[in-house]
Amino acid sequence: MEVDSENGLLQRKQATYQSLDETFLIAKETYKGQQYSQIYFARLHLMRTMLYSLLPTWKPHLPSCTVLGLEQGKECIIVGTLYKHMKLKPSVLDEYSKERSASPLVQPRNFLHSDDYLVLEDESGRVKLRGALLLPSVYVTGTVVALHGKETGAGDFELEDVLEAGLPHQIDRPLNSGEDKFVVFVSGLSVGSTSANPLHFQLFVDHITGHLGGEKEQGMAAQIVQVVIAGNSVEIGRGLLNGQNLGSRDQSKLSEPIKELDILMSQIAAGIPVDIMPGEADPANFALPQQPLHRCLFPGSAAFNTFRSCTNPHSFELDDVRFLGTSGQNIDDLAKYSDATCKLEFLERTLRWRHIAPTAPNTLGCYPFTDRDPFFIEMCPRVYFVGNQEKLDTSVIKGSDGQVVRLVCIPKFAETGTAVMLNLRNLECHALTFGSQFDS
Amino acid sequence: MAETDTIGIIDEIHSFISDRLQVISYKWLSRNFLVSSNAAKRLLEEFVEKHGGGLAVIYSLSGWLKSNPTTYHIRLVPSHMLSDAKEEFDGKCSVQVYSIQACLPKDPATLWNHEFVQAEDLFKQPSTLDNCLRDNRFCGVSNSFVKRTVGGTPLGSGSLQVKSTRVSGLSSSSIPQATADPRSIQKNFQNAGSNPGAQPLNTEKPVKTEGNVKPDPAQVAEKEKVPRPLLNNKKGQNNKNSSGSGGSLASMWGRASAKPKPDACLAQAEKARQGSFVSAKAQICARESAEHEISDDDDDDKAFTARRTSNGEGSRKRRAVFNYSDEEDEYDNAISLGSPDPPKKSALCSKESLNTSASECNISFEEKENKPKIKEVKEDDVKAKPMVKEEKESDVKAKPKVQKEKESELKVNYQHLRANIATVSNDKKAESPTSEKTQCHVTEKDASRKNTMANDVPKRRKVVKTRIDEKGREVTEVVWEGEEQDTKSNNNNSAKIADSCTASNAINRPPAVRKSPAVGNAAPANQAGKAGNKKAATKDPKQGNLFSFFNKA
Repeated sequence: MEVDSENGLLQRKQATYQSLDETFLIAKETYKGQQYSQIYFARLHLMRTMLYSLLPTWKPHLPSCTVLGLEQGKECIIVGTLYKHMKLKPSVLDEYSKERSASPLVQPRNFLHSDDYLVLEDESGRVKLRGALLLPSVYVTGTVVALHGKETGAGDFELEDVLEAGLPHQIDRPLNSGEDKFVVFVSGLSVGSTSANPLHFQLFVDHITGHLGGEKEQGMAAQIVQVVIAGNSVEIGRGLLNGQNLGSRDQSKLSEPIKELDILMSQIAAGIPVDIMPGEADPANFALPQQPLHRCLFPGSAAFNTFRSCTNPHSFELDDVRFLGTSGQNIDDLAKYSDATCKLEFLERTLRWRHIAPTAPNTLGCYPFTDRDPFFIEMCPRVYFVGNQEKLDTSVIKGSDGQVVRLVCIPKFAETGTAVMLNLRNLECHALTFGSQFDS
Repeated sequence: MAETDTIGIIDEIHSFISDRLQVISYKWLSRNFLVSSNAAKRLLEEFVEKHGGGLAVIYSLSGWLKSNPTTYHIRLVPSHMLSDAKEEFDGKCSVQVYSIQACLPKDPATLWNHEFVQAEDLFKQPSTLDNCLRDNRFCGVSNSFVKRTVGGTPLGSGSLQVKSTRVSGLSSSSIPQATADPRSIQKNFQNAGSNPGAQPLNTEKPVKTEGNVKPDPAQVAEKEKVPRPLLNNKKGQNNKNSSGSGGSLASMWGRASAKPKPDACLAQAEKARQGSFVSAKAQICARESAEHEISDDDDDDKAFTARRTSNGEGSRKRRAVFNYSDEEDEYDNAISLGSPDPPKKSALCSKESLNTSASECNISFEEKENKPKIKEVKEDDVKAKPMVKEEKESDVKAKPKVQKEKESELKVNYQHLRANIATVSNDKKAESPTSEKTQCHVTEKDASRKNTMANDVPKRRKVVKTRIDEKGREVTEVVWEGEEQDTKSNNNNSAKIADSCTASNAINRPPAVRKSPAVGNAAPANQAGKAGNKKAATKDPKQGNLFSFFNKA
């Protein structure tokens, strides 16, 4: 018995890890009356330079000008930030307005309305856009695009063509080389929630750390080189967080879920490198980019060199495969203010717009950066993941330059019992589901 | 693995299931008996084959689903659904025994509970240790790149060392070792209980004690069998240490724990004496430190807990002696209790089943709902004081009797005590601002206390309640509240606790009460140590606020 258990001990595969989170770290966080205009300025500046460089290949014959420089009837290209005027966009001022508004009811799904229209804006001015090419339901405030068209007599801009930034450059890396190595994504663990079944998380931990199953299963587990926890790992009762001082008993309610998470996570960290990203429901800052959860929240896990507390958005390289992902806020916000057939479409759009979170800071909380826009995507990731979605969804998109990106929507584990396994070799994905059923 | 060992474990499983109605999952088994997960699964399978009848077995199935070929599914099913569930998998799915229990749980989370409690216990062990939870040594996949770094020794106190020695038996193979030669890991597992060389550096005593046990496989097997009669999985580790090396170890502990005591107690007495002349504040300090020292000693004794209880001698009640700030002379007397010659004391201690966590709570009289072990014996608190006064010398011997004695006296004493408190508390207000903190406790049960006192003790829990009485005075008293819980823990009483409680007078209590609102439900071992340390830091009652802040984290 001793002999074969010795032989049965598998070695876990390893992958080189490089964190690329520094752009999302806020070194000297200050709130001294910065305005959000600077983010838009930085974004427009970055994107315009980039879009201008694309113009010669797109429409070399057309001049580019600013909004202020538009002349009636003259075809030209303007580059600016889109603003979507939305009838239903909630405003804090609504509740103070004296007059009864006749605004239509908000749809259950999002704030779209058929009367929404787009406006393009740059430093010099803004112009209302017309034409069926640019659907208001697709674009959101904050996107930077180049538009081909001409000014009409009414002062609107009649669209003829649209240029989006497109997928950024991707470092070439031959796929299908090397051996199978897996990255596991999980999100929405909601430890401490009444609906979550802790057994499933335990099974998950046991499976990936190589406790569960026979030799075959443990062989699979040994191929896992990285675990990424993409947000919403704990759930703390809303009633507790009402801004009032808590009694000593309630304080433990506050800390118990985090402790439980720490215990389970330290079991993972004892076997596999694990990255934890903060999410909407986690005890982290609200505004993007969310800063790493403090290590002292996880005294057990933090002792391991395999434990990394990361930012949200989170970017890293694993064996030269570049990953980029968020805990889902950016995509959820896009879903509120624009429309798509599936969540993957939102992911694709943000990549093509070269911006992780175009709706920040408009409708998405965001730190008022003064000198840069950290959500600008400079390099195209190989894997782009988003946490806390309803269901697992994945696809591959290809860019014009031969970029290949695997898009992954990670479902909420607490609700679906599903984690996502991604093969680093060929970027194939499969689900890892857990279930328990004791009565027929 | 030795054949005898396997048989031993299987026997144990039998008793766990039939006597305790416990859920035995492979992982629990592996951590409890220090075998690898795979070995534990085999054991369970073997057990099911041999004694499967009448047991509910839960299997874990894993494989690719037929309905969705890109889904790798892992599922737990009971035996009667096994064949159906297999159908849903594509091709050959792997089937393992996950857990066995007397009956199927209604809520799947029940399965998880046992494991989690165990994991929590391991987790709560001092961070300097590498236990099987931290180095993942029982899994089938090893990762030599995992390192744990503990920045210094976070707890850094004597009690920590003592504690770590106690559990060190479990945790001898550290990661670096394991990784140095993965092949040897398995061996390490089995020797884990008795590998002296691999113990953490800060364990001085145990190295010696462990030395009694040779890391020879046969003996390991022997050893692993011995501690089986665990009263409780939580104490498994302690058990292993104490019972593993038998009586000699016990005497070892006895000596160890007894040694510091005379000094400590003398010091306390000294301090207390001074205190009676100096300011009230000085007294507080003296008592705080006295209490702290004693509680450290209590830690020492913890090693005995398991063995004592398993010996079935744990029928004695804990007692607590209260002392109030106007009774310095009493305090001296009470303290001198601790001073009598060490051997006697340790013998006495070893008879009593002292549960440290319980003792901790006893000291703090706190409403810790999460700690099942907290109920204590009320009578002693009231009684002990007079006793202490009268029977200075004989007290040590008399202690066993004390709690069985005259319930009738209680009332008298109680009145006496109350009077004391009442008068004291007025002064106390001025002295210790923090004592007001405790006032939030209301004493609805105050009236009922006298009645309940005499009754069945084990069902109650002691709680400090403070209120303002009709005359506007502040009355702090200890009341019985709630009922639950196992008699076992009630038996965990000790002379030392009496001592420490003597030290913890009305003024000492407030900081203790604030100490920890409710930390986890099931790690008596660490609880005590932590509390001890905290107390050490709480020299000044005012600092209590700080600690309540830290507890939030």
